[in-house]
Parts: sequence; C-alpha cells; structure tokens
Amino acid sequence: MLHIKPIVSALWRSKSGPVLLLLQIVLSVAIVANASFIIHERLQKMTRDSGIEEQEVLTINVYNFGENVDYDLQRRKDIEIIKALPNVKNASLVSMLPMSGSGWSSGFTAEPYDPKKPHQHSVSSGIYFNDHHFIDTFGLTLVEGRNFRADEISFSQNLSDVKAIISKAFATEMWGNESAIGKKFYHGFKEHITVVGVLEFLQGDSVGRDTFENGIILSYDFIGAGKNAIYTIRANVKDIPQLEKDIKDALMADNPYRVFQGFETIAEIRKEAYRNDALMVSALSMIIVLLLVIASLGLSGMVMFNIQKRTKQIGTRRALGAKKRDIIQQFLMENYLICAAGALLGGILAVQLGNQLMRHYNLPMLDLSYVFFTVAGLFVVTTIAVLLPARKAAAISPAIATRSV
Amino acid sequence: MFLHYLDLAWRSIRKTPALSLLMVIAIAIGIGITTTTLNIYQMMAFNPTGERSEQLHAVQLWSQGTDTWDEFHMQVTYQDAMNLRKLSPQFKQLVQMRSGMVIQSDNKDFEPELRAVRVTDGDFFSMFSVPFRYGSSWSKQVDESAAYQVVISENYNQKIFGGGDNVGKTIFLNRKPYQIVGIIDSWNPQPRFYDPMNGAFSNAEEIFVPFSLLAIEKYQVWGNTSGWKYEEVKTFEDKLLSEKVWLQFWIELNTVEERQQYKQILTDYVAEQKALGRFTDNKSASESHKLNTVEEWLEHSEVVKEDNRILVGLSFLFLSVCLVNILGLMLTKFLKRAPEVGVRRAIGASRFQIFSQYMVEVGIIGLLGGITGLVLASGLLYLLGERFAMDSSLISLSHSMWFIAPFIAIVTTLLAGVFPAWKVCHTKPSIYLKSQ
Repeated sequence: MLHIKPIVSALWRSKSGPVLLLLQIVLSVAIVANASFIIHERLQKMTRDSGIEEQEVLTINVYNFGENVDYDLQRRKDIEIIKALPNVKNASLVSMLPMSGSGWSSGFTAEPYDPKKPHQHSVSSGIYFNDHHFIDTFGLTLVEGRNFRADEISFSQNLSDVKAIISKAFATEMWGNESAIGKKFYHGFKEHITVVGVLEFLQGDSVGRDTFENGIILSYDFIGAGKNAIYTIRANVKDIPQLEKDIKDALMADNPYRVFQGFETIAEIRKEAYRNDALMVSALSMIIVLLLVIASLGLSGMVMFNIQKRTKQIGTRRALGAKKRDIIQQFLMENYLICAAGALLGGILAVQLGNQLMRHYNLPMLDLSYVFFTVAGLFVVTTIAVLLPARKAAAISPAIATRSV
Repeated sequence: MFLHYLDLAWRSIRKTPALSLLMVIAIAIGIGITTTTLNIYQMMAFNPTGERSEQLHAVQLWSQGTDTWDEFHMQVTYQDAMNLRKLSPQFKQLVQMRSGMVIQSDNKDFEPELRAVRVTDGDFFSMFSVPFRYGSSWSKQVDESAAYQVVISENYNQKIFGGGDNVGKTIFLNRKPYQIVGIIDSWNPQPRFYDPMNGAFSNAEEIFVPFSLLAIEKYQVWGNTSGWKYEEVKTFEDKLLSEKVWLQFWIELNTVEERQQYKQILTDYVAEQKALGRFTDNKSASESHKLNTVEEWLEHSEVVKEDNRILVGLSFLFLSVCLVNILGLMLTKFLKRAPEVGVRRAIGASRFQIFSQYMVEVGIIGLLGGITGLVLASGLLYLLGERFAMDSSLISLSHSMWFIAPFIAIVTTLLAGVFPAWKVCHTKPSIYLKSQ
C-alpha cells in the first residue's frame, strides 16, 4: 500500500531539502525540454535530402590567370579533358554548388513583371545555369518531365525562352498541385522560362535560407564569372583520391596558368555547411547529459544524507515489521511526489522559456511532447539515483539502528 | 583568525571527501560550461576599434525603389560610392571591396597562389589604425589617378622575400606588376569589423590595392552583389552603371558637428539623386541614409550569432541548477555536522565565528570548483577547435576569464552557502548536548 500521507507530512517537516530538489527538477525540465527541442530541429534540418549522390561527386575550383585566354573555350576544353580521364563517369561545368554558401538566387513570378502592379507574388529560388549533363553528374532524380535535349542548350547570356528543370518544392510554391510541365514563369518583365522537368530535390546554395529547397536549372551553358570556374565530376568513391591528382596533372599539362582550390566532395561541402548546426547539437547534448549527471549526483547525495539522518527511524520501522521493500518504496515515493510536482511546475516554466526563445529568436513553438519525454526521462534517472542509496537504507538491520546513536 | 578558519575548513573538507568532491564537480561543470559559452560570446561581441568606434562610420543608403527589400542594405552602388567620395574631400573616407588574385613574384621558389585581396582607398590604413613596418600607404593622388601599387603584410613579405625592407620591389597580381609601397605589421582585428559580411572571424587580407584600379582591371568581386530590380548586366561596365549594391563605404567623423555636417551632406545628396530619378522609394531624403559607428555596425551585421545568445542563456540556467544542487549538498553536509556545532557553541563560539568559518569553507570549494571549471573550459574550447574547426580567435580563452570564472564560482557558492551556514549557526546547542 502507498502511504502517501505520512510521506507528505514527513517531507513537510523538513522543507528545505525537498524544496531544493523540486527547484532543481523544475529548472532541469525547462532546460532539457527546450534544449532537446532545439536539437531535434537542427537534426531535422541537417538531414534534409539533397537528392545528390554526395559521396560520388567531386568538385574543383579552377582559377585561370593566363593572358589572352578565351575562358569560354578553355572551360569547354577542360571538361572534355576531364571526361577523357579513366574512371570519370560524367563531368559538368556548374555555376554554383549546392549547400556551398555562395551562389545565385533570384525571385521569379508566374506573370511577367509589371511595374504598374506592385507586390506581385514572387517565388525565390537558387539558380543553376547548366547543360544536359548536370542531372547525371549529380545523380538527381526526375519525378516528372524530361532532361534538356542537347539542342536546347543556349550559349548566350540571354535568358529569354530558355528551358528549366525545377525542384518539386519550387513547382509547388509556384503552381500548387498542378503539373508544372510546359508552364512558363518569368524573370523580370521580358525573360520567360519554360519548364520541361521536375526534380524530386534540388537545393540552393544557402542552407539557412527559407527557400533553400527551391532550385531551378536553366538550359544555359554557363561560361563562368570571370576567371573562376567550378567543375563537378562523378566517379566511384574509391577512384576519387587518384582522380584529384589526375585531373590536376591533365589540366596543368594543357595550360599551366591556373590555381586549384577545394578538391571536395559534396558530402564534405554538406558537412561544412551544417557545421554550426552540428556544433549547436553537440553543445546542447553535452548540457543535457551533464545536467542529468549533476542532478542525479546531487539527488543521490541528499538521499544518502536523509538515510543517515533517519537511520533510527528506518531501524524502528524495520523492527516494527516493515519489509525492505517498504523502505525502498518510501524513498521512491518521496522522490516521485517531488518529481510530479516538479514536472508540473517545470512544464509551465519550459513553455514560458520556449515562448521567450520563440519571440526573440528564429525558433518555432516548443512542442509539448518534449516536455513529456523530458519528464519521463527524469523519472527514470531519479529512480536510479534514489534506488541505489535506498537499497543501502533497506539493508539497515533493526538491531543496529536501534542500538546506535 | 582567517588562517585558522582556513585550516578548519580544510579539515572539514577532508572529513567528507565524497560530498566535497561532489560539490566541486558540480560547480566545476557549471563554471566550465558557462565560461565556455561566455568566452565565445565575449570574443564575438568584442569591438576591436575601442575608442575609435565612435569616429568610424559605415554609410548605408536607401537606394532601392518601392516593392523590394525593406531594410537598409549593408553595401552601396558604384555610382553612389563614386559620388560620395567626391562630396566630402575634407574627411577621411574610403570605398572598398574584397577580391582575389593570383600572386606571383620573381622568386622562383614561390608557387603562384590565389589570395584574397582588399581593393580600397589609401585612407584605409590611417582610418583603421593599421601599423606600417616599412613604407606607407600609396599617395592620395593614386586614389584619383590609378597606379599599380600594392601594400602587403609583414607575414606575406616573409613568405615571398624572406623578410626585410622590400619597398620598391615588384610582385605580380594576375600577372600584372605592382610596386610595393608599404609593408604593414601584423594586423588582424577580430571580429573583422570593416567587412563583417565576408566572414566576421576570417583573417584580414594581407594584400591591398588601390580602388582606383577597379574600373581598369575589372577586379572580380569576392563577396555579395545584390540587385533590387531587374537589370541586364552583361559587362563590367554595365555593373558599374547598375543599381546593384556591392561596395562598402566608410567615413571618419571626429566630432558631433562633423557628424551633423555629413548627415546634411548625405541628405542633400539623396535629394539631388531623387531629382535625377534615383532613390525612388517614398522615404524622405533625410531618412534615406544611415551612419553606423563600429559598435552599431557589428550589431547590425549580427556578428554575435543567435545560437550563441541561446547557449549563453541556457548555460546560465544550467549554472543555476548547479547552484541549487550545491545548496542542497551543503545543507546536507552542514546539518550533518550540527552536533559538532552544538558542542562548539556550548563552549563559547559565537554565531558569527561559526558562520564565517563555514563561509570560508564554502569559498574554498567555490575556488577549487572555479579553477577546475576553467581547466574544463579550456579543454572544451580546444575540443571545439579540433572537432568543429572553429575560428581560432573564438576558441582562445580570454585572459579576463582567469578572473571572471573563479569570481562567478566563488560568488555563486557563497550565495549557495549563506542559507546552510545561517541554518547551522542557529543550531540550539542544548539539543545536541542532550542527545550525546
């Protein structure tokens, strides 16, 4: 039988210990619930699917500084040189790299821009300028429509009447559930773009942006901004280290006036892109773990003291016929009472803290399930923290207890 | 008396090693976490210009029209930068951007390498207090009529020439010869207040070239270019004439009067541009510009990340849990010794003496915890550097932490100790004497 009333009155008689314990639990619930909520948010953000075969795509930055070089010609030649190397599955010259933190983006409208009609709905998106090798080089999946045909690739910077392959996220934001194939959208007032394909995923360059999942590829073979060029190469993971060297040698043999930077796979770029989120996840996890360690150490210490203080009482109870179980149960019951009260107050504080975080920072509202999980976790941890010293208490023999002190 | 208390406190700590250790661990972890987050925050929030902060101003213009972004952009257009430069020759001022070029020298052992380069005006060095080791900035005249001159860092001087006064020698940027006019001493303000947009904690550039060369050499922008309206930009000349923003403008204004004067200049300028059909938003001319001190500029560029504020907040909450925890443990420990106190009180110790003795003991635990916490914090910072490649300026333990961390530790433990110590010194001697 659970003897709640005597336990409550015993707690009431020596208030300070239980009150401190309560305070600790209240604070812990508030911190752990919010911290684990943020962790979950970040993990979700970090594991968004890029749709790319990330391990297999190698990227290289080439900076040409030769005099009188026709960069356009040089780049097309470079791609052919790279494609001719053994173990290269495909290669492509790209305007930017997904998740890299730098690139192109702009707003597009479903109707041509009209200065007389301000506040037209515009959908922001990352923009890739590329040819028909892009999809295969990155390993992207088309869910509707088709890839560009070779004859659709434009070589001039005039974006009028180019074709586009867009991400599903972009299509949904622009046209809802209607099929996007064959639809036109606009950049400014005169450039119109026709959709030929929809990709399952195509992300932009900046992982922090709201419109990160919006991506479009325009059928314009990019000649690069100035002297810098980015090449991407698809190859088997095991061939990549050797390829780094082979590519460098082959390109240098063709033209020595270049500097190479960043032989990186998309997987490495991803890691870099989410570094701050990973950092936040580790920092918060560490806080949670340490908090639980400290709370349970403190709790054990206090229970141990309680037991010493109450040795006589326990001994007497044992002498009067209380079983070991009863003693353990008494301490556990004490703990659960405090925990329950702490959980309630802590839940309220957690929601308050969550509201503050939401108001001041870019965070969504705290999901209540985090409070419940935290409370459940605390019950488990405190049970263990109480159980160990309580078992020791139960082992007190009635004879010793009544004799000593 | 203090030494005596110290001795008593030490004995008492040794008598209950487990409890004392628990307390030290609790405070150490609390302090370790708090110090780590606070240290990073402090490094981020640092203003490297000190007193000069009030004199250096970043200029922002509301050059956009209606139906576009709704805040001041951090950069300005080329047209505006060129116009501003001419408006107030009496003040030190500069327009700048970040670029990158391949560096070569006559030294055959020096492999060509791609480096970030700052394209700026000559006042950069005096405005931002950049120290010179050899030579000086290029002359004022070069800001007007371009010359292929360059300032490099001592570090880079070492790398190319192996050190020494190499003013007058030539290095090649994108295969064009530039004459070295100055070599600066080490200078690397963190955060990089003068261009926080391109990574507030990345290192300062080590190569500086005159901005007047920009239109001639068509330097590539290594940074952000934004446009608020649709414009066809195909050539570099198009870009110079466009409404795209990609340059940063700074001015030095030493007094309130100068600041007022310059604000008026800006207002007149915007009014004039409005008359020419630019700055088409409905904002008035006097509201279409903003001067930011370095302090305001760092704030505006959100150099301190949201994540860090959240972590500092949570870590202080965490510290408060530790505090409550220690309070409980201390109460436990002191009450356990109540019989001993009873005896001491009976033989004449005053309440104040007992209280002081316990506070000394608490203080020692706080100090031990603080020091352990500091060690823990430096370990944590080291780990952050190793695992997350955080910028080195953020993960070095600031010297002020050597005082702040133990201070917080001692203050919190003393706070936590007041109640238990007060409680124990109010023990009635009679109870314990009886039960003995």
